[in-house]
Amino acid sequence: MYTYLKKARVALSVFFMIAITAAFIFFVNRESPFFSFFLKLQFVPSLLGVFSGGLLVFVILLALTFLFGRVYCSTLCPVGTYQDVVSRIAYYFKTKKKRRFKFSPVNNIRYIVFGIVVLFIIGGITLPLGLLDPYSNWGRVSNEIISRSEQLMHNGVSFLFPDTVFYRSYAHFTLGSFLFALAFLLLVTLMSAFRGRLYCNTICPVGTLLGLLSRLSLYKPAINRDLCTRCQACVMKCKSQCIDLETQTIDESRCVGCLDCMVACKNGGISYLFSYKKVKPTEIETRTSKVSQERRSALIAIGLLGTAMATKAMNLGPVMKTKPKPSGIMPPGAADSDHFKRNCTACHACIAACPNNIIKPATNEYGLDGVLLPVLSFKNHFCSYECNECALVCPNDALMPLLLEEKQVTAVGKVKFFQDRCIVKTDGTDCGACDEHCPTKAITMVPFGNDGLYIPKVNGSLCIGCGACEYICPAIPQKAMVVQGLPKQVKAKKPSLDKQEKIEVDDFGF
Amino acid sequence: MIIFVKTIMQMERRNFIKTAFLGGIASAVGLKSNDLFGAGKMSVDASNDLVAVMGGEPGQMYQKAIEAMGGITRFVKKGDKIVIKPNIGWDKAPEMAANTNPDLISAIIKDCYLAGASQVTVFDNTCDEWQACYKNSGIEKAVKDAGARMAFAHDQKYFKEVQLPKAVRMKSAKIHEAIIDCDAWINVPVLKNHGGARMTISMKNFMGIVWDRRFMHANDLQQCIADCSTFEKMPVLNIVDAYRIMTQNGPKGKSIEDVQVPKALFMSTDIVAVDAAAVKFFAQFKEMKLEEVSHIGLAESMNIGTSDLSKLKVERIRIG
Repeated sequence: MYTYLKKARVALSVFFMIAITAAFIFFVNRESPFFSFFLKLQFVPSLLGVFSGGLLVFVILLALTFLFGRVYCSTLCPVGTYQDVVSRIAYYFKTKKKRRFKFSPVNNIRYIVFGIVVLFIIGGITLPLGLLDPYSNWGRVSNEIISRSEQLMHNGVSFLFPDTVFYRSYAHFTLGSFLFALAFLLLVTLMSAFRGRLYCNTICPVGTLLGLLSRLSLYKPAINRDLCTRCQACVMKCKSQCIDLETQTIDESRCVGCLDCMVACKNGGISYLFSYKKVKPTEIETRTSKVSQERRSALIAIGLLGTAMATKAMNLGPVMKTKPKPSGIMPPGAADSDHFKRNCTACHACIAACPNNIIKPATNEYGLDGVLLPVLSFKNHFCSYECNECALVCPNDALMPLLLEEKQVTAVGKVKFFQDRCIVKTDGTDCGACDEHCPTKAITMVPFGNDGLYIPKVNGSLCIGCGACEYICPAIPQKAMVVQGLPKQVKAKKPSLDKQEKIEVDDFGF
Repeated sequence: MIIFVKTIMQMERRNFIKTAFLGGIASAVGLKSNDLFGAGKMSVDASNDLVAVMGGEPGQMYQKAIEAMGGITRFVKKGDKIVIKPNIGWDKAPEMAANTNPDLISAIIKDCYLAGASQVTVFDNTCDEWQACYKNSGIEKAVKDAGARMAFAHDQKYFKEVQLPKAVRMKSAKIHEAIIDCDAWINVPVLKNHGGARMTISMKNFMGIVWDRRFMHANDLQQCIADCSTFEKMPVLNIVDAYRIMTQNGPKGKSIEDVQVPKALFMSTDIVAVDAAAVKFFAQFKEMKLEEVSHIGLAESMNIGTSDLSKLKVERIRIG
């Protein structure tokens, strides 16, 4: 039975990994929102989006964990699947002896990492979670590495078929973001090539949390002492390195439920057993040895919690948070910078979804606690009036879903007009590029001087900060139209209809 | 009227057409046209210089106009690679009059193929995101249904540097490769008001064959628009779509309120003349002086064409 279950698990996990990656790939995500749906099934997005839609997914994921332990890690997590793939590939490059996994004693680094992440979250800063969360990391890897590679290949094809395959202009490249994604990929690749699920059981905060919960699972993998011959077959296959044959126990907090051991055991000595409130016979013996460890963990936990409380009490959170700069223009739906920073884990799904390539990873636009978060830049294009893709794709609700009509009156910033830089004033010639591009007519052209010239005039209440004017403004070196981000996105006035009489003419006028 | 008779058959097609329309203008103005291009001399045939049609559907008005211009075969020869350049600048539906009418584009493509064109290509360097523009303007579908090809124009890669020696400000420009490689191209703008250039018609429509729009805005927009029309490979025909026109908040427009539906079309080989005619037509809906649209005057002073319609042979057609 476990053979079939395992095959199903592998098939599902590969499917989820491909689906999630596909959501970041240009061609797929542009054609349909189908793959973006799978982003919402991820743990951290469901946790952060819990109050607006993620709740159901969150409950299902928790229920799964309470039933069978960390199956999320082996089936739904794209990084988990990636590690299994690496592990399998590495297998072929290893000597027979090196192929065997060994039991590894519990390490408590994971609780420290988890504690730090929780500490920051209590302080109102989500960034450390975002930097360690496997889904968000996979998003960045997909976006910075897989998607860019796909783009290179695409442009190769467009070189061969210039009439039918269009060339994709290269978008923003933020070196820091690329290097971070690359570093993560290398780290995880190395860790999994040598030690299987080491990342999951040392660093991953999601893994640690689910590990804590899976101590309470109804069904746990357990060794049947009557059938076990201590042959090591299971241990050698265990990528989590959590089977201890010495005591014939399985550390369920590290077990990801991959089922490999159950398939490996020729005697059927390992299986899921109903374990609710049952103290395993093995545990009674090993309790004493575990006590000191658990006490240590408990102490660390209490210590961290205490620090968090203190931080909260002293209101240090806001101190650590930095105020966004005017260049920190949040994508539509972000509401305000507190909400945005609280919910965004920088998975870059919005960056991948933007058809205009105007969202890029922030460097210092939002301050230190906003590094890598998506920020708008009007260097290469502007925000389409008819588009709300980013707000729809965000699985974390960092960008609240906006209907197109709502998005069209949501001001992400306001434009500032510097008349002294404007071509009409400096050169005394017609321009109007900004007025031409303004979708809400927040910019209109008004008479200027005596030479029949017209100069732009801004009506701030209509401006939604789409950046069309800034993008097209030809003034150099400094643009005459500059959009400045709003820390709190506001509702702009709806453009007036400008009703005009319908005229019928009989004559050509010449 | 001075009549030149020479071996038309031996002339290059492009020069033939240039000479045809310039000769037409010049003879109407009473000038000697022999030194304008020096490529040859020919008779000014009976075709009109400018045709205005009103009251029909886009395709129908096109048919009437092209007949009055002497038929498409005057401009498109068997085996020609033809480019049709509409205005597809904005992510707007056809009803919003921000882009050229797709039915008109469809009719022109079909006519070109009837005349034996080997390939018809359509493109624009859009302002809004190009895929959305191509799709939502309805033009991509019209083009594909008519069997023509949409060319890409969203990256500098598709544009080639061209010298404009007769230009005043814009001495060189990156022009779309489809225009450079074609045998003849047809300019099909839509009639709209424009916050910067005052009006956008045929000459302004050249901004979509040029890559760097910002340069034009930064270096005397009106002069740069006129400079574009010094390009040696001018469109063989300019067809102004005035089925729906945008009379306010142009060129992008906000709502359907910005649109009037006069159901008209203007066609000429003289880009200055057709723009002047279109402005005069537009002025019936919204105040607009010809002098205000200064790129028209600038182009006229650079001998690109004439805005004096009284000197041209104009045919006015009313349908229904």
